[in-house]
Amino acid sequence: MNNMSPEVALHRISPELRPLLCSVVRNGRVGLDSTNCLRVTDLKTGCTSLTPGPCCDRFKLHIPYAGETLKWDIIFNARYPELPPDFIFGEDAEFLPEPSELPHLVQWDAGDPECLLQLVKELIQQYHQYQCQRLRESSRLLFEYDSLLEDPNYGRNMEIYAGRKNSWVGDRIVLVCPSFISIMSSLSQDTALDPGEDVALLSVSFEDAEATQVFPKLYLSPSIEHALGGSSALHIPAFPSGGCLIDYVPQVCQLLTNKVQYVIQGYHKRREYIAAFLSHFGMGVVEYDAEGFTKLTLLLMWKDFCFLVHVDLPLYFPRDQPTLTFQSVYHFTNSGQLYSQVQKSYPYSPRWDGNEMAKRAKAYFKSFIPQFQEGAFANGKL
Amino acid sequence: VPGFAAGGSGIDGDVSIMAASISGYTFSSVCFHSANSNSDHEGFLLGEVRQEETVSISDTQISTAELLQVVEIHNHDPCAQLFSFYDYAGKVNEDNLNRILKDRRKSVIGWYRFRRNTQQQMSFREQIIHKQLTQLLGVPDLVFLLFSFISTANSSTHALEYVLFRPNRRYNQRITLTIPNLGNTSQQEYKVSSVPNTSLNYAKVIKEHGAEFFDKDGVMKDIRTIFQVYSALQDKVQAVCGEVEQSERVKEKIQEDVNKLKQQIALRKRKTAEEERRLREAQNAESHPTSEENSEPSETSLLSRVAFHAPSAPERPGTSPNPPSYSDLLSQEDSLLSSSSSPTSAALLPRPQAVGSPGHPTPGPLGMGLGLSLGLGSDSLDRQAAGQEDDDDDDDDDDDDDEDSSEYENLVSEAAHLPMVSASVLAQGRPAALSPDGDARGSQTS
Repeated sequence: MNNMSPEVALHRISPELRPLLCSVVRNGRVGLDSTNCLRVTDLKTGCTSLTPGPCCDRFKLHIPYAGETLKWDIIFNARYPELPPDFIFGEDAEFLPEPSELPHLVQWDAGDPECLLQLVKELIQQYHQYQCQRLRESSRLLFEYDSLLEDPNYGRNMEIYAGRKNSWVGDRIVLVCPSFISIMSSLSQDTALDPGEDVALLSVSFEDAEATQVFPKLYLSPSIEHALGGSSALHIPAFPSGGCLIDYVPQVCQLLTNKVQYVIQGYHKRREYIAAFLSHFGMGVVEYDAEGFTKLTLLLMWKDFCFLVHVDLPLYFPRDQPTLTFQSVYHFTNSGQLYSQVQKSYPYSPRWDGNEMAKRAKAYFKSFIPQFQEGAFANGKL
Repeated sequence: VPGFAAGGSGIDGDVSIMAASISGYTFSSVCFHSANSNSDHEGFLLGEVRQEETVSISDTQISTAELLQVVEIHNHDPCAQLFSFYDYAGKVNEDNLNRILKDRRKSVIGWYRFRRNTQQQMSFREQIIHKQLTQLLGVPDLVFLLFSFISTANSSTHALEYVLFRPNRRYNQRITLTIPNLGNTSQQEYKVSSVPNTSLNYAKVIKEHGAEFFDKDGVMKDIRTIFQVYSALQDKVQAVCGEVEQSERVKEKIQEDVNKLKQQIALRKRKTAEEERRLREAQNAESHPTSEENSEPSETSLLSRVAFHAPSAPERPGTSPNPPSYSDLLSQEDSLLSSSSSPTSAALLPRPQAVGSPGHPTPGPLGMGLGLSLGLGSDSLDRQAAGQEDDDDDDDDDDDDDEDSSEYENLVSEAAHLPMVSASVLAQGRPAALSPDGDARGSQTS
């Protein structure tokens, strides 16, 4: 399977079909997982091999859905670009949507660049229905799904996938953590998050009909994961056996919400801290992180001895205290670095406000510096 | 569409096996149309469907009937353009369909589509159309033939793949499509298709020129001619058989004479040996033996000398009694030499050497067979001395050798076996009696 970049695909496709494909690969977002865009592979032509290129008019479209990737063949005819495409739904040989439910097929308009994308979205909707139909055979997940449907929090923001009997894939439901959407918008003001790009999805797989093997997973877009402190920081509780999604999902979402709020709080606190230091040390500030407020560097002098102090604020500040790194401007270590000492424990309390922290820090510097100076002279080279 | 059981067996009913065939020219025509189109291509398949029932009776079961549905594709009707009988939603327009098919509508048994570089699977629109066509045309088991042209990326290899589907069934949707006379013809015969030839031109030409090939009974003339050749050959063979029989009888007679003579020789020898013994005894009783022995009749001395010459061949350990008279050999050989042609005479020439000489003729196939056909030769003597007694062998060449030694043995021991021996000589000598160029006049004709 040749993995091609969207640009290559656009280059090889027949010119008349290019606008349609363009909107699919560049802006195409179907389904809940908006971080995974639609991918195009296996670009082939339906013209004779003597036809000069570019004349590709058929390809495979990879569509993320409910944790799976659907691989659908889309078949155009380059010589008749005004005609609507045909589809082969890969392994889902029994998926046969009703054409009347596909308005963009019935009124196909090749002049509208969005037409193909809209048609694909309509097909996905029909596919979702088809999966629900398949779930009729195993009632457990359907019961969960129906109950979630009624809750306005989740509503239609769900993708369901009925697993195959002869493969390892069980039934799966993927949904967007609902309260997360509102959190995300507040978070995005403070941190560099893009609500359009970022997503938090909860995927719950049911490997068997009795729901004894249930595997929940939380999918976060990378920036969110990073903002929340990495994948290790976020553990979701196991699905209680005999439990229901309608109970479980709010639990997870609450956990997520708490985490996010904590992070937001931390953000504000850090900002406060930096602001305080700025006012206390004024000209002594060399630089600081003006976006995330995670770092601060000071250049101070004590009795003609100049030194740098790097302050690193951890993610869970003020719970965790900032790391102070003292660095001499004169002395080098054997490896050629500036001589420095790291201080992780010093008088500190998370209950102090920014001002208080700055004052105490100043006092600490005064007390520690003689020691540092001695160390620098003893161990460092000029 | 003819051929469906009146009982209306359901689609998933008894008729589970289906065989399909398409005539070679229809197939190539579809390929031609498809390969020349610069886009996807579609059309209808015309033909007939019939049911064949096979009743098989075996010892274990009472008869089982197997229903086989046979689909034959005779012709195709290509569509001039895509979407000619259906719209964007895939809805089939019956008027357009009729306009395309006209009166061929009743012989439609399926439809086909050609698309390059795609999977061998029915597409979304194809399935929708197929359902409607099944309804409209009233063909419950409408077939769908999918052609796909797969090319490698550098256009070095192209493959035309075709699959025949019967999508109206739940299982076994793919059927093998056979093309008669396309395949490994070294193992098959050339099959005549049951497709009726409806071409008027063809019928006209055959009628015009038929008289040159067919006689008044409708049988091909060539067949009669060949049969005549065959009959002529048969007659000749029969004649040759007669001649062979004759010559064999002559040979048999001669062989009998030879045997008789041998008997006489043996008898005479015994007599002379006895006489000599008596003479010797008588002489011994008187005084010393004189040199009168040396002045014995020449024939006896000659005989004994021949007797001693024969065993001088290196391989033979002991003496062998009763070799044939040299004069006998020569006289017979003369008659042989006069009648045979050069290849055979050349082979016969070395015989005199063979009898008394240390060496024996090189075992070339000609020399062996012909040289020993008379039942004489040092080979036979060798064999006897070595103790081989095989009477009936499978191989002809070996037969000659062994048959001769056995003959000698019988001569020495009992005269009673002679008739059997001569019969075996006859039986085994026959192939040798004919010269290599198949001529009936062989060594034995007198």
